Order: sequence, then structure tokens, then C-alpha cells
Amino acid sequence: MLQTSNYSLVLSLQFLLLCYDLFVNSFSELLRMAPVIQLVLFIIQDIAILFNIIIIFLMFFNTFVFQAGLVNLLFHKFKGTIILTSVYLALSISLHVWVMNVRWKDSSSFRWTNGLQTLFVFQRLAAVLYCYFYKRTAVRLGDPRFYQDSLWLRKEFMQVRR
Amino acid sequence: MRDDSGPPLEEDKARPPRALPPVPSAIQDEIPLSHPKKKKSRTKSTPAPASSEGLAEPVVNRRAEGSEPPAAELKEYPEAPVQRKQKKIRPPPELETSFTEKPSSPSLLRNENGMDVEPREEVVIPKPRRKAKKMQPAEPQYASELGVEDEDVITDEQSTLEHHSRFTAPTGVSQPVGKIFVEKSRRFQAADRSELIKTTENVDVSMDMKPSWTTRDVALSVHRAFRMIGLFSHGFLAGCAVWNIVVICVLAGDQFSNVSNLLQQYKPLAYPFQSLLYLLLALSTVSAFDRIDFAKTSVAIRNFLALEPTALASFLYFTALTLSLSQQMTSDRIYLYEPSVNGSLWPAEVEEPVLMPWVIVNLVVALLVGLAWLFLSYRPGMDLSEELMFFSDVDEYPERGVKASP
Repeated sequence: MLQTSNYSLVLSLQFLLLCYDLFVNSFSELLRMAPVIQLVLFIIQDIAILFNIIIIFLMFFNTFVFQAGLVNLLFHKFKGTIILTSVYLALSISLHVWVMNVRWKDSSSFRWTNGLQTLFVFQRLAAVLYCYFYKRTAVRLGDPRFYQDSLWLRKEFMQVRR
Repeated sequence: MRDDSGPPLEEDKARPPRALPPVPSAIQDEIPLSHPKKKKSRTKSTPAPASSEGLAEPVVNRRAEGSEPPAAELKEYPEAPVQRKQKKIRPPPELETSFTEKPSSPSLLRNENGMDVEPREEVVIPKPRRKAKKMQPAEPQYASELGVEDEDVITDEQSTLEHHSRFTAPTGVSQPVGKIFVEKSRRFQAADRSELIKTTENVDVSMDMKPSWTTRDVALSVHRAFRMIGLFSHGFLAGCAVWNIVVICVLAGDQFSNVSNLLQQYKPLAYPFQSLLYLLLALSTVSAFDRIDFAKTSVAIRNFLALEPTALASFLYFTALTLSLSQQMTSDRIYLYEPSVNGSLWPAEVEEPVLMPWVIVNLVVALLVGLAWLFLSYRPGMDLSEELMFFSDVDEYPERGVKASP
């Protein structure tokens, strides 16, 4: 059974990483006095997304549903989060690589192209969706029903065995 | 009783070097251990500790005893166990604390030979501690029992002695003590009775609260906290967007006659405002999605088709976010505006064609955001996520997920 204190700690960490992500997405364009600042911000952002993925998977592994072997059920319930987070990580890394590549020599000049703008829009939209889905999943995993045996779980298990 | 106990004492005094018959080792070991000090303090005339065993005996027994061993004596006088039984039923008067709730008196310890031995004070003390700790979480009424009950206080020494049969240590007059000895880090420390009662009550309250604070409550509180932040960001965003468009219109002048002035004045503000707009739009969109439980697509689409104001608001927020992001390039261009170096980035003929869509998009964003805020305020309490995530039926939800999968 998930302890309340442990869950609170994990949830705080997840929200901290989400907040950092939102902060960098909002203000990284302003903090481009030197390319190194942006580089560091981007690297930490990507690591934060990666950490969030690891944490959410660890939380999945901790559920009774997973331990009962119903990985498929868990995947169905949270496939939106899993897919979107992966897509967002890919989009973020590509945008960061592109932006750094374009701005490394002269960070304060106007270096936009249509492709970069398109990627930028998609990455930022994905960021909002990622934030929503991730937050929702993190909050949902606090439901004690995921950590104990129940009637519906047994029903699901029977269905899977058939 | 006191008068009765006189003769045996004298008898003992008369023949002090009496050789006692062999006593079973268990009795020899156990009994002096249990009450040597009390004996001395209470009956100063006690000649030797070895004979103390017989002192508390009734006179009749002593006189008939002669020089027979105690084991035989026990067999001869079967009324002695009866007395003991009676004594067991009685509430033990020796306890100074009020923990005499158990019907089988805990103060009487039975030694290996089945004899009742009254424990020393050091043995009695842990009892209240253990009981107090055990009772705290479940029953708050025990907190009041840390107090002193009148019947536990022995005021009359004679009545105490009457209760005592053989093998029991006589106790003196007792009075309520203001201290309770509580075991803390393997040591007994005196604690104030009244304070302990207070803390016990407090612990009871916190213990009652604790089990109810589950992970689900943590999740629910976080969800509600975010909804509050979202509520703030909805209003703040609407205000900011409206303020932004007003500033743009004022700076641009009538019919956008003074675009250069707008660029010059608005230049330092363009990118910071774009960043702030993204932050607020992201928060508002997530909050609006939360309200319609966007992750459940079927519910979200049904609400949208039914023209549910909250669903419409989330759609408007998402549209505004997309539109706002599409102007990132132009905002950066305005931010880097330099009239002196007019050559590359801002040629004079480009100013208005580049700026007009940007102004229009900003106007549309302000309208969308304002409208979304109005829609949300139509039903401010609506939160489908909370209902479906935390208060939905257990059976219903996973089945639906499996049905949707094929």
C-alpha cells in the first residue's frame, strides 16, 4: 500500500519538475543573453522530462494492478500519458537541438525559419497537453484502488486469462 | 486485625533463632524479593526477613502451625486459598494510580508456586504507561481516566490491612500523586498528570484525523489547489489580454497611422508579454481541460457538442494558445526592432503588413480569452475530473477502458 508521505513526496517532485518545464517553456526565449544559459536550461529541461517518465513508470510498477500482472490494463488506462510524454520528449529534444544549432554563434539575432516556428508551435502545444495528462496521471495514481485487491481487478484478471 | 497481628510478633520475638523448615527454593527466592523494604518500614519489629513470610498470616493459622513446614500448612488449611480468591475479586487498594479497570486485578502477580505476590511499586509503575499508550488511539474516553479516582486512594490504614491476607505486603496510606511515570527512551520520566491528559486528548484528535488522510485525499487536495490556481489564471489572463490589446490600439493611433511609434514603444514589452501570455494560457488550458476531463475523449466531445460552456471555454483556450504561439516569430521580430538599422529586419514598407496580422491575432486572442473566462464563470463549480476520477464507481471505469480498447 502506498504511504501518504511517500506519495506526497513523489507528487511534489513531479510537480516541481512540471513547474520547471513550464517555466523554461515560457521564459527560455527571454533568457538568451548567452547561448550557454539556454543550453543549460534545455539540458535540465530534457532531463526533467526524462525523470518524470522514470517516476511515472516507477509509480506504475508500484501499483497492485501491475504487480498482479495486468500491465496491459495499466497501459490502456494511461496510454495517453505514456505516448504524449514520449512524443513531447522527442519534440523537446529536437527543438532544443535545432534552436541551439541556429543560435549558438549569435544568440540574440533573429534566426527564425518557418520550419523552426512550426516545430516550436507543436512542441509548446505538446507541452501543455503533456502537463495536463501527466498531472492527471500523477493525481490518479494516488487512488488507493490501484494499490489493493478488488472485485474489478479480479474480473479483469479473469478476462485476461480467458 | 492489627490486634490480631500482635501475638505472632511477640511469639517471633520470643524465639528468634528458630530454624525454619526447608522451604521450596521458588518460594524462598520469590517472596523476599517482592517486599523486603515495605516490610521493614511498616512493621519495624520484624526480627528477620526469613520469618517475614509468616507475619502476614492470620493468627489462627500461625498458632496451629507449630513447627510444621509451610507446604503442609497449606494442605491443612484449605481456607487460605479461599481467602486468596476473595482477595483477587476485590479491587486492589495498593494501586496509587487509577488504572484498576481490569476485573482480574493486575496488581497481584502469581509466582511460580501459584502464590499471589503483590508486586513492588517499580513493577506497578509501567502499567499506567502501557495502558495509556494502548488506549490512546482508539478510545478517547480513557484520557479522562488518567485522573485520580477517589476509591483508589487509601486513606484508612486499618481497612487496608484487613484486605491483606498472607503473603501480601502491607501498604500504607496512599494519596494521589500529581506525577505519572511515563517511559520515554527506555527511562521512566515523571510527567504531570494534567499535562498528560491534555496531550493524550490531543493525540487522540490527531490519531483520529490521521487514518482519514489518505493518498486519495492528498491527490484531491492537489487537484483542488491547482483548480484554484487555474481560476486565478483565467481572470488574470483575460485582464492581461484586454490590457495588451488596449495598449496596442492606443500606441498605434487612429487607423494604425503611427505604426513606428507602436514598434518603438512596445518593443521591450513584446517578448516578455508573449512569454507571460504563454504561461497563463498554458495554465488556463490545463485547468479548463481538467474541468471537462479532456482525457476522457467521449465525455469531452459529448460536452462540446452539447455546447457545454466549460467545454467551449477549453476549446477557446486551446485555439487562443495556438494563435498566440503562431505569433512567436513576429513577437521576436518586434523585440529586436531597431529603427536605426532599418536595413535588414524592419524595412519601412514591411512594418504594416507584418504588424497587422499580429495585431489582429492579439485582438482575437483577447476576445477568445475573455469569452472563455465568461463561459467558465457561467459554471464555476463544474469539475468533471474530480467527479470521474475520485467519486466514480470502481467497477465502471476499468471496464469502459477495456471496451474502448479493441
